[in-house]
Amino acid sequence: MADIEVNIGEIAITKNADTLVASGVGSCLVITLYDPKNRIGGLAHAMLPTSVNRHSYTKNCELHSTSSVDVAIDEMLKRIETCGAKGEDLEAKLIGGANMFSAFASDIGMENVLSAKDKLKKEGIKIIGESVGGSQGRSVEFSVASGIVTIKMKF
Amino acid sequence: MKDKLQEINTQAAMNASRALSKLIDEPVSLEITKAGVKDVKELSPIIDSEEIVAGIYLPITGEVKGAALLIFSKETAFTLSDLLVRREPGTTRELTELDKSALKEVGNIISGNYFTVLSNNLQVKIIEHIPSFSFDMFGAVISQIIAKFAQETEKALIIEIQFTFKPIKLKGYFLLLFRLEEIKAILGGGHMELLK
Repeated sequence: MADIEVNIGEIAITKNADTLVASGVGSCLVITLYDPKNRIGGLAHAMLPTSVNRHSYTKNCELHSTSSVDVAIDEMLKRIETCGAKGEDLEAKLIGGANMFSAFASDIGMENVLSAKDKLKKEGIKIIGESVGGSQGRSVEFSVASGIVTIKMKF
Repeated sequence: MKDKLQEINTQAAMNASRALSKLIDEPVSLEITKAGVKDVKELSPIIDSEEIVAGIYLPITGEVKGAALLIFSKETAFTLSDLLVRREPGTTRELTELDKSALKEVGNIISGNYFTVLSNNLQVKIIEHIPSFSFDMFGAVISQIIAKFAQETEKALIIEIQFTFKPIKLKGYFLLLFRLEEIKAILGGGHMELLK
């Protein structure tokens, strides 16, 4: 059993009794996928709503493509199914998507949430829980043995 | 560019110290302990992502586009609030609207001085916008700024400054991000090796 820290742009999949951790999530979005029958879990920590927004990155591809919600979900689905999870059994949870600064005209956080909902709907995966929006940061712990996602907020 | 940057940092720190001294009625010297130029992908968090910090975000536009982010640890924010609002040191346990507004003013002073010196040295027009405040986990505060930059631009010029308030020994972190497109045009090709 170990805590696996998942940083921005990263994806982790495990079928052990590990805990997947993403700390200090603000406007970023954490997407968890869980196959309760096989006890396989995945966590993606994405920063931007869609890969289309990264048009300027295509030349050098400086950022991990999995920094964006849509690509991260695609990649996580591919990897979790390789590990033996069944697509139709998968349950998703969404955490994050806050707006930390009122001065921001564009709400990247909410765009991330909408992008994830849109993508998961297309893939036919049901969302069974969410803690999104607001103006506070969140830390996420996903215990893969139980499927329980714990969220810590500082206030 | 490195020397120039050093010069800008020193001059800005001196000016900001003077302004802050007036504000809190105590001698303040801002000592810059670290300054460097980095690529956005190399921006590794120097503060634990779950540490609670006060973040003051100041967007800039004009001939140079970017943002400044001023970060104080919780303790520094509390001590500064005591000094600014003239309370007994150690009084502040949580930040009131008045404290937040006072801290935003500190952000205005530090970044205002920095941008004035930068604008004079590079001969460019910089427009500062109203500061915005967040008191939360460092990771949550900084990632939104990075996300905004990642959406807009390929690379950014990043200047990190860690500073100490003397004699009270308070620490702060000042992050400046500039869109590379405009900076490149201003600096010209000769200095670009520093950005690699």
